[in-house]
Amino acid sequence: MNTNADPVVLVLNDLQKSFGDLGIMRGVNLAVRRGERHAVIGPNGAGKSTLFNLISGALPPSGGSIRLNGRSIHGFAPERINRMGLARSFQITSVFGRMSALENLRIGVMARHGVRFDLFSPVKAKRRINDDAHALLERIKLRHRANVPAADLTYSEQRSLEIGMTLATGAEMILLDEPTAGMSREETAYMVELIREVTTDKTLMVVEHDMSVVFGLCDRISVLVYGTILATGTPDEIRASQPVRDAYLGTEAV
Amino acid sequence: MMRTRIVIGVLMAVPLVAVPPLLGLGWQNTLNSMLIASLFAAAFNLLMGQGGMLSFGHSAFYGVGAFAVLHVMKAAEAGFPFPTPLLPLVGGIAGLLLGAAAGFLATMRSGVYFSLVTLALAELLHALAPNWSGVFGGESGLSSMRMPWLGIDFGSPIEVYYLTLAWVAVSLALLYAYTCTPFGRLTLALRDNERRIRFMGFNAHATKTLVFSISGLFSGIAGGLLAISTETASYGILSSQVSAMVVIHTFVGGSTIFLGPVLGASLFTLFSFLMSEVTRAWLLYQGLIFVLVMLYAPKGLAGIFEAHWSNRGRLPWSRLAVPYAAALASSMLISGATTFAIQIIEQVFSSPYKAAALGTGVWPPVSVLGVSVLPASFITWLMIAAAFAAGIAGIIRTRPVIATLWADGSEGDAPAVRVPTSTAA
Repeated sequence: MNTNADPVVLVLNDLQKSFGDLGIMRGVNLAVRRGERHAVIGPNGAGKSTLFNLISGALPPSGGSIRLNGRSIHGFAPERINRMGLARSFQITSVFGRMSALENLRIGVMARHGVRFDLFSPVKAKRRINDDAHALLERIKLRHRANVPAADLTYSEQRSLEIGMTLATGAEMILLDEPTAGMSREETAYMVELIREVTTDKTLMVVEHDMSVVFGLCDRISVLVYGTILATGTPDEIRASQPVRDAYLGTEAV
Repeated sequence: MMRTRIVIGVLMAVPLVAVPPLLGLGWQNTLNSMLIASLFAAAFNLLMGQGGMLSFGHSAFYGVGAFAVLHVMKAAEAGFPFPTPLLPLVGGIAGLLLGAAAGFLATMRSGVYFSLVTLALAELLHALAPNWSGVFGGESGLSSMRMPWLGIDFGSPIEVYYLTLAWVAVSLALLYAYTCTPFGRLTLALRDNERRIRFMGFNAHATKTLVFSISGLFSGIAGGLLAISTETASYGILSSQVSAMVVIHTFVGGSTIFLGPVLGASLFTLFSFLMSEVTRAWLLYQGLIFVLVMLYAPKGLAGIFEAHWSNRGRLPWSRLAVPYAAALASSMLISGATTFAIQIIEQVFSSPYKAAALGTGVWPPVSVLGVSVLPASFITWLMIAAAFAAGIAGIIRTRPVIATLWADGSEGDAPAVRVPTSTAA
């Protein structure tokens, strides 16, 4: 959907964020290449969630630059960033609880087709929107739960729906915030497989604590420690990196 | 589902069209007021039930609609040729414009702060109106006359009633159609999770402002209909009592169901018509009903119907009959005892009674529901207390029985009721 030939989708340059005197992001430099699956790991309090909040527009940066497909998105509102092709999921499930699973996706599909303030036709008559929503529901394997209110889905179904809603708006760049948080081993394996399937043609950036997910799913890894990137590389390079071992991974995780 | 809705519509429409000509003027006026209150509550609930925004200042849009219509009626009286049947549209436009401005400001905040901003804006208008005679006619307000149009002279209440009925029917149909549009679905998503819609590419502030404006539009139409019916409007229509009234109507009826507010507004308007003749304590009864519904049926009266309807195939009706009858009898004992107590107290504290009692030193009997009772008698209060206690005991006994039968019959709790969710293709 994006014909931009630039091999880099997202570039962070000296990105800063401070709350009062407290510097949370202290000059982050990062480039995410088109089509890769890029993990951000780091100890608690390293600023991973803040980084996602800055990229997705939930918080304005204090300094530095963020460029999406070559255009600055510094300080843009979340909806504007989404329309430019970047969507995010939430660590704490964030769905439309009283609406059905299908409708949760359909809201996002409406946005993809630019249907926002349409007051003059029934949503039933929007063939393409309904077809796309059904297709997406199929892809996240919740077809049999189409008419169940999102609040009544099981936790792992809600996590699948969370991924589906992130994909629904058609963004090319997908940010997933701890997609397997709170899941059992089997559920985690299922979720990793699902993420792999549904993001084949996307660029993925994921914050994750589970190292098996990170090393199993991602092509490249950035290690964020105290608001700066300590290292970026392939899983093998990160495993082998002495500074990363010292700062974060320890020995048993590798 | 669609067929059910059409059936509901026809069942409501036929008696509303056919019966009123056979009724007296008082009833025609009451039905007219019920329709107007219904539309106002439905318009309010677009914002509250569907958009998740609780406005405490909806009298502003209702009132502005009424004043706008009166200005055009006065102009029509002076010779400006405006068709009387289209007057409510003027109220709607006024409500829409004020709604857009107030909505833009109020929706910058959410939750309690949103409610307080709406309250403050309406109070501002309410304080301003009596001092601004050019627009609001000062303290005495504005009044005018309905002009004839195309041979209809709009002189009798029944003509006004049919005009109201037509506007309310069309407005409710449009409000229902709204829930089926993409923007109507977005409104529900906004209510459920405002943050998420922003991250899905929707401008939440613009969305909220538009929902607010449309609610203002239909509130303005309701206010306009009121102005046409009464041929007058004063600043009292902007008061917080009017705002509170629409909140109560909506919650008693049930904000999670499309027709809930219509039910609440109709019943309360009817109740006030019937009761205000009988007792000055009718507002107290309304308040009691409101508190009871909020405590024991938070989804409102329509929520009770909805829960029964959606479980109709599963509930053991024959086994429910006796406990339901017992619960009804107990409720009537409680209501009866409460009514007697309130009515005795009301009459004893009225000035003529006090004067008589103080003058003679005796407490003469008072009449409640046609029964003569002695307010100073121990027996009177013992009987009231006994009836009340018996009712409470009956409720305590039957509630668990009913709850058990419900748990057996329905799978889990009654489903969370909501505005149509099944418009999925």
